[in-house]
Amino acid sequence: MLNYVIRRLFYMVPIIFCVMVITFFLFFGLVNVETMARTQLPPRASQAAIENWLHQRHYDKPLYLNMPGVQRYQAGQPFYDSLFFANIYDLATFNFGDSLATNRHIVTMFKEGAIPSLLVTAPAFFLSLVLAVSFSLFLVYVRASKLDAVGTIFCVMLMSIPVIVYVIICQWVLGNLLRYFPAYGFSLHGFDAARFLALPIAVLILNELGSDTRLYRAIFLEEVRADYVRTASAKGLSPQVALFKHVLKNGMINIITLTVAALPTLILGTLVLEDFFGIPGLGSLSLTSIRTTDYTVVRAVTYAGSLLYLLGLLLTDICYALVDPRIKLK
Amino acid sequence: MGRRSRDLSLLLVLLSLLLGLAGCDNNPNAAPWQAKHADGSPWVVSYRAFPEDPRTLDPQVAYDELSHAIIYLVYDTFLTYNPLKTDYELQPDLASELPVMETQPDGSLDYLCKIKPGTYFIDDPCFPDGKGRELTSADFYYTWQRMADPKTECPIVSNFSDFVKGLDESMAAAAKAGHFDYSAPFGAITVVDRYTFRINLKKPYPQLKYWLAFPFTTPVAREAVDYYDGKEHDGVVRDRFRVHPVGTGAFKLAEFKSQHFIRLVRNDRYNSLKFPTGGWDPAQEKALRPYAGHSLPIVDEIQYNIIREIIPSWVLFKQGWLDATTLTKDTFSAAMDANHQLNPDYQKRGMKVVKNVELMTWYFMFNMRDPVLGKNAKLRQAMSTVFDTQKENEIFYNGLYVMAQQFLPPGLFGYDPNFVNPYRQTSVEKAKQLLAEAGYPNGIDPKTGRPLQITLDVQAGSGTERQAAEYEQSQFEQLGIRIKIQENLFSAMLEKQLRGNFQFVLAGWSADYPDPENYFNLLYSKSIPPDGYNESFYSNPEYDKLFEQMSTMENSPQRLAIIQQMNQIITDQCVIAPLYNQVTLGLLQPWTQRVVVNGYVSLFGGPRYSVLNDELRNQERAKLNAKNYWPLIIGGILLAIVVGVGIRIGRKRDA
Amino acid sequence: MNLPYWIQDLLVALALGVAFLLLWLAGKSDRYERQRRRFLRDKVGLVSLFVVTLFLAICAADLLLLPQYNNDGFHLSLLDWCFQKVPQETSYSAPLAWVDAKGAPLNGRHLLGTDALGSDVLLETLKACRTALLIGSLTSLIYIPIGVLLGIIAGYFRGWVDDLIQFVYSTVASIPVILLLVSILVVIGKGIPQITLALGLTSWIGLCRLLRGESMRQAGRQYCEAARALGQGSWKIITRHLLPNMMHLVVINFVLGFSGIVLTESILSYIGVGVPIGTASWGIMIDSARTELNREPSVWWNLAAASSALFLLVLALNLLGDALRKAFDPKAA
Repeated sequence: MLNYVIRRLFYMVPIIFCVMVITFFLFFGLVNVETMARTQLPPRASQAAIENWLHQRHYDKPLYLNMPGVQRYQAGQPFYDSLFFANIYDLATFNFGDSLATNRHIVTMFKEGAIPSLLVTAPAFFLSLVLAVSFSLFLVYVRASKLDAVGTIFCVMLMSIPVIVYVIICQWVLGNLLRYFPAYGFSLHGFDAARFLALPIAVLILNELGSDTRLYRAIFLEEVRADYVRTASAKGLSPQVALFKHVLKNGMINIITLTVAALPTLILGTLVLEDFFGIPGLGSLSLTSIRTTDYTVVRAVTYAGSLLYLLGLLLTDICYALVDPRIKLK
Repeated sequence: MGRRSRDLSLLLVLLSLLLGLAGCDNNPNAAPWQAKHADGSPWVVSYRAFPEDPRTLDPQVAYDELSHAIIYLVYDTFLTYNPLKTDYELQPDLASELPVMETQPDGSLDYLCKIKPGTYFIDDPCFPDGKGRELTSADFYYTWQRMADPKTECPIVSNFSDFVKGLDESMAAAAKAGHFDYSAPFGAITVVDRYTFRINLKKPYPQLKYWLAFPFTTPVAREAVDYYDGKEHDGVVRDRFRVHPVGTGAFKLAEFKSQHFIRLVRNDRYNSLKFPTGGWDPAQEKALRPYAGHSLPIVDEIQYNIIREIIPSWVLFKQGWLDATTLTKDTFSAAMDANHQLNPDYQKRGMKVVKNVELMTWYFMFNMRDPVLGKNAKLRQAMSTVFDTQKENEIFYNGLYVMAQQFLPPGLFGYDPNFVNPYRQTSVEKAKQLLAEAGYPNGIDPKTGRPLQITLDVQAGSGTERQAAEYEQSQFEQLGIRIKIQENLFSAMLEKQLRGNFQFVLAGWSADYPDPENYFNLLYSKSIPPDGYNESFYSNPEYDKLFEQMSTMENSPQRLAIIQQMNQIITDQCVIAPLYNQVTLGLLQPWTQRVVVNGYVSLFGGPRYSVLNDELRNQERAKLNAKNYWPLIIGGILLAIVVGVGIRIGRKRDA
Repeated sequence: MNLPYWIQDLLVALALGVAFLLLWLAGKSDRYERQRRRFLRDKVGLVSLFVVTLFLAICAADLLLLPQYNNDGFHLSLLDWCFQKVPQETSYSAPLAWVDAKGAPLNGRHLLGTDALGSDVLLETLKACRTALLIGSLTSLIYIPIGVLLGIIAGYFRGWVDDLIQFVYSTVASIPVILLLVSILVVIGKGIPQITLALGLTSWIGLCRLLRGESMRQAGRQYCEAARALGQGSWKIITRHLLPNMMHLVVINFVLGFSGIVLTESILSYIGVGVPIGTASWGIMIDSARTELNREPSVWWNLAAASSALFLLVLALNLLGDALRKAFDPKAA
């Protein structure tokens, strides 16, 4: 097992390298560095200010290779003194640098943004799990009845509403009409934060409730029809005990295997929700940085996102192996 | 577990959830910095909204409105504008009197500047004993040096270097050595004594006075710049100077949480400006007289909630959590009635509308180097004549914007309220005639036999911007020509405009300072990019000569005559098609008093003069936010019913 | 494009014809007889199929061009022709109202009201069908072949091929879709083809992984071993045995994926990387609702129309996908 994990961690390196190269290309390969400078500097900045900006960030180097004939060639510098190699070096040494737009230290920004994001995604994840499991167990309890059919169609309806409509409706009804929760904003002062988190968490849960319930219902149904449950109830076990003790436990194993992949990426937050409700987390950071073409932040976010996504995949595979002894990880 | 006990526990869970929600409160604001003053008097907080993070609070670097809004509150400028007058009358702020231009015996020019004694920086750990020291001329000397330091990245220092001595040399020396030598002789400023200094000029520059009211020339403390380097010292990472202002302003920056909120707390040592002692609108006399001559600020704290979206901002304003808001296209109808007056309901409650005509002109900018548009004045005239700006004003701006006939906005010297631009009197027939004279009868290009196609480049944006672009397209297509809308991201748009890769765009120019030279510079041939912002790529030697004459003149009848001539040239050749001047409407709560009249000051530094009625605010808020719990109770009952039915079904099956 | 209008009509007719032909052949084929019977008995499935066909018809109505021109110099579509009698107003008006938001009398009656520039909301909603279905179909045309090919190959051949394909999809999955979209926008501007390109390049991963797992399972089964023992080449095994056995997974993924793509388009408009100005789209209508709801009087009909239409289409697609799944595997119902 340990060998497998170490090998998988090594495999991540070329993938992340590839992702970073593509990200580099998507910025510097498509847009002129001067244009990048102009986007970040105030619109009336002088040409001298632009050149200075580029120089301070070492962006006045050649793009890929420092060779004669290339734009911004610097004689006397080695061939690898280019923007591309400087970028690779930065990433290898985990030097993320400063945001191009706000000049703040990126690692600090990440640390500050991680907590608000987690405050939304983590409770939403667990609450959503609890609610979806309860709802699906309820549907399994009433299986093959009209209530089950209605419940399933209700789930499909929940799945068919775009998340933006959920956001608009939740904010309008709960924040504006009924005024239960603040319509916008955030707070880090202890339990006060809960008021601001209620709306985004509610939207997250509603968005996933439909599809999760159907999935879990399918898993639980498979368990209920399994032989061991039939044997147990033939032996006289009451249906409720069967449901809660056996079906739930075995079903949860499958469910956890499926959902564990999402755990690492919780920290990245949700783009649309944070933007709309004003949660100062990593999701809105990603969205803002893409909108303002803030390359260094996008680079850091993509790096983190890639790493966490791959970790999620690894976790899933480990879970599968732990759960099912037939699967051997080699 | 027995069945009954499980049902009971379910009910208990539901009840506790309901009770928990009952304790909820929809107040989005953070608690005040302190509950009361030391002497027991109430601590008054002003709550406002801010659309995004300010980019930087470093006065020598910041060049956008949002950053300036905060900077003016924590740093005072050398000069300021009179808050109670709509024209731009300069007043001393950190200065003890207005600067005077002198001619020395050797013929050199300079501005003699005097500082008010007794102005102190705020207390901060960057000073040796934590106590803020007095502001002196040495601080101005250091600040101008700092502007020339390439590491600071001051965006407009090259504008100054044309007029102020010594900047070019210092910048060149810094570039060669790789760093700026602060101990080397610096020609731009001469320190005369502790409170007096001179700004040395190469040639006359009347606009320098306006720059002295602008944050670039605001003095900063060298101790603060050196201390706040963002590096680790003794295990603690210090802030960067750009988020840790140490100034002489009315407020101190107490908290700045990115994307979240900004908290400003009163500076008890502030004494540069005082509440005006007179000159206010007679209607506000009663409310403002009690504060005459008081030291600023009147409120103790300002909390800016950073709210990126307009609608949550409006919702929070309606619920009473914000003291003021800006009215936009969609919220306009909620507050104003068809006659552009505040609706009776709001009037009764005591809300106030504040109208501010900005120093900003929106216009269609034609690329004078474009082979189709640039050489054909009649074509431009036709397009200018067909466009119905009034209708656009009605649809998108609630009829608020002021129709523009000329390049200059109202309020600037040289603006002529009676000027009639013949190509801005909307007439489709006349436009069609002009188009025919331009060589495109009925919009058909005789060379291809098809309608003439012109590309309008726009910035990819929100719903309103999309709709406006569609409207513009439909207006021009009345001529029979085809308009292709090309959407661009912000960065791509910038590049296109700077390189002249466009045919025409909608452009807006907001004055840096209240002098007409700032506008006419946009059509000066020496300002063609990359040397300046003449993105029209207009080059006319006659115009250039007139511009060079008027740019450094003081306001006088001769200057007015030259401005009128230049205006005529622009109008005849239809270099730009002026559309409207932007007007913003603000809405104030009943407990917020209007003080500042000058549009510029209300955006920049205005909150220093804010006056609030705290008691009234608390009363209104309680009324506006009473909660209604019936939906929750009904929802809970429905849920219990569904669960009950389900349990019954399940039991029947298993029985 | 300056092609004559009837070429577009021909293409649309051709595409529809091909689609119907494929469906008819699939329905007739013996392989799927049992599933067809099961499907035809499922009432919910039949109704949702009908609804989807209805949307398809509306989309086709907007794609079929007529010889007449409208005011902007573009050809009228069949849909436009049906709505010829409905006049243009100048600003908002409520559904079935007689006056507009400013109190001025209207030129005609609008079933679902009008939007900010006075266009009829019902017409806008129906025209947006075309955008949604075009994006959904074109994206599917891109991502399904890629996903199917790479998935089956990865699952069947395993070894270094599998590793390589896993490498590729892990890399692609790590890049945020929005970043890709914005970059494409910078280079080739906004447009439906650009959106379908970006979405297509990122949507194949799910299908690929699904088919990879499935073909790994199938490849170990006896019928594959038998085929190999008989000397059949890998390509033949894939096309003759594996692919037909997994076709139902592809179809279900297509139907459910379609609904996902249509939902994504609405989010893209919110972020600002959606369809270009002038294109009708539910996403844009919902996006403008954010500010419109707070007007006084509140403008709710834009949001209601767009989200209802979107909801109906996505619901129908989901229920159809469910019905198909039930038809192929009744135990998993």
